[in-house]
Amino acid sequence: MRRLGIALVASVALAGCVQTRQYSDVEFTPPQGEYKLLVMRPDVTVGSVTTGGLVEPRADWTETARAKLLAALRAQQAGRGGNVLILDRRDSLPGVDADTMAELERLHYAVGSSIALHRYSGAYLPTKRGKGLDWTLGEDAVALGRRTGYDYALFLHAEDSFASTGRVALQVLGVAGCLVGFCAPNIGGAGQFAYASLVDLRTGEVVWFNVLQAGSQIAGIKMGDIRTDAGAAQMVDRLLDRMKPGRDVRRRQRASQ
Amino acid sequence: MTAAMTRRALLGGGVALTAGLATGVAGARILPKDMVPLIGPGYRAIDQDEKGLWQQMERVEEEVAGSNLLIKDPALTGYLGDLIGRVGGPAATDMRIYLARIPEFNAVMFPTGFAVIFSGLLVRMRNEAQLAGVVAHESAHFLRKHQLRQWRDVKRKTDIFSFLAMGAGVAGGATGVYAGDLVRLAQFGTILSLLRYNRTLEAEADAMGVRLLAGAGYDPTAMSETWQQLIAELDLSAKYRRKKRERDFSLFSTHPAPESRMADLRISAAETKQPGRTYNAYRDRYLAALASIRPTLLDDQVKLNDPGASQYVVNTLAKDGWNGLLRFHEGEIWRLRNRKGDDIRAAQGYAASILYPDAPADAWRWHGIMLMKQGRTAEARAALAHYLQMAPNAPDAPFVRQMMAS
Repeated sequence: MRRLGIALVASVALAGCVQTRQYSDVEFTPPQGEYKLLVMRPDVTVGSVTTGGLVEPRADWTETARAKLLAALRAQQAGRGGNVLILDRRDSLPGVDADTMAELERLHYAVGSSIALHRYSGAYLPTKRGKGLDWTLGEDAVALGRRTGYDYALFLHAEDSFASTGRVALQVLGVAGCLVGFCAPNIGGAGQFAYASLVDLRTGEVVWFNVLQAGSQIAGIKMGDIRTDAGAAQMVDRLLDRMKPGRDVRRRQRASQ
Repeated sequence: MTAAMTRRALLGGGVALTAGLATGVAGARILPKDMVPLIGPGYRAIDQDEKGLWQQMERVEEEVAGSNLLIKDPALTGYLGDLIGRVGGPAATDMRIYLARIPEFNAVMFPTGFAVIFSGLLVRMRNEAQLAGVVAHESAHFLRKHQLRQWRDVKRKTDIFSFLAMGAGVAGGATGVYAGDLVRLAQFGTILSLLRYNRTLEAEADAMGVRLLAGAGYDPTAMSETWQQLIAELDLSAKYRRKKRERDFSLFSTHPAPESRMADLRISAAETKQPGRTYNAYRDRYLAALASIRPTLLDDQVKLNDPGASQYVVNTLAKDGWNGLLRFHEGEIWRLRNRKGDDIRAAQGYAASILYPDAPADAWRWHGIMLMKQGRTAEARAALAHYLQMAPNAPDAPFVRQMMAS
């Protein structure tokens, strides 16, 4: 019995975790003071994890979470001094049509997928070694900046999911099984996944990229909930509030100290 | 001993379960008369899971609608809109069709009532009834709420499987029996059962498609003709590659086998036709609607360099009469394959093409080049002159002039 207890505690300790991993351009300085930031239409999905482990999208939860996230983002940016426009829709930027924004979103999706593959999924490229974050959206992004006067564009993607009652019941059964020697204490399935990508509209380069993962391997235990004010603020904080300067900038800061 | 017996009994039960799931009612034809629409005009998502699905699909439609693969010619999209208006049943005015320039035989219906038709479908259809048959099949997916029912089926079966698997594990743990084999068998059974449900829904869409097609005055046998054409095309394509057409083992397919679909569609069509009523194929209307885009469609198909399939497509269309465009593409198929003797076949295609009044400019160009290669310089110059006369601003016009001069 005692051994089982230790095993369970260990699995719980290992199972619940929140982690972020950010990369930035070697010359990146987090935006401060008077800057103009354009937040592209955030891509938010919230769902429920079925007993079998599938994620079923929930329209009402998604709408709530989107609204809460936008509010949290506004509050966070107000604290940093930035002049922010958050796009609710693709056509809510005056003077730029929805198609242009859609093209830029698709371009960013392709570039972001490449960053995910070569920075996060282990397919490292020798040519990018030691270069921090070395990706660009090119002329399209620069053109948008020139037309609108914004300094940065932020791309946001957020997913959250919650274990359904059935999933939790299955988890309870799995834990109960430990008593008879069939132990499934961490069937998991729910949690958060989000990424943020900051593009410098003066150069077109992706200057900062951060991925957040939060979840527990035990169905029913939450590590955050973006449907609530506090949970949305927590995600924005985890994802955006700890921007580190680029490698070369940090080196110079250290040298001057 | 006891444990071994129990395990054998469990396995036996599992096999029976799997077999039962897999065979079930498969094979029985779904009757068109049973296929009533499950939704009315102006339908919106009702249940919670459906609302979630719709919300996601609205984003998908936004992406599809903005895709640069779409063919946006208003005459053509208007024509497709009219088609779905005729065979769309109660949701006729709610559904949307997008035409994507993808040279494949395919069409997809999404849960919110928008369909994507691949351009490769248009090139293969001999008349409007055949195309309307595909559109009717896709409409049926929406009218019978197939995507939602599919999702619920997957959800239900994976839920049951998860509990059974966990329960079997716990029970096995308690009694000291290894239940892994049984769980794996049940997993296999679940997968087969999901696939079978998918095939059932496809069969439903076929049956309802026939009903919608006949109801709109189209000849419902058009749907089985389409399948006949597809089977023959796949056979010929495989034959040219010295292969046999791939046939999925029916238990593992998402769709019923083409042969059984064709057979069921033929019977359903005969059953649905009412004596005394006339059914049409509307070939002329179809040809007129596609006239402007057909050269592009044929060109896309031929450039796949799948000579068996392309030749089948060209020959099938030629059953309604050869013309300059079809002969030209016949030549192109051989020129692109480029095996020994194919240049002669290609030259014959071009030579035949220019005898028709509708021969495209490129037919004259290639005819000229082929003549040039054969050393028939004077005739070649005449053909090339004809090309330049038809396409004076062609990008290669200066080059062709140079060729004629030398």
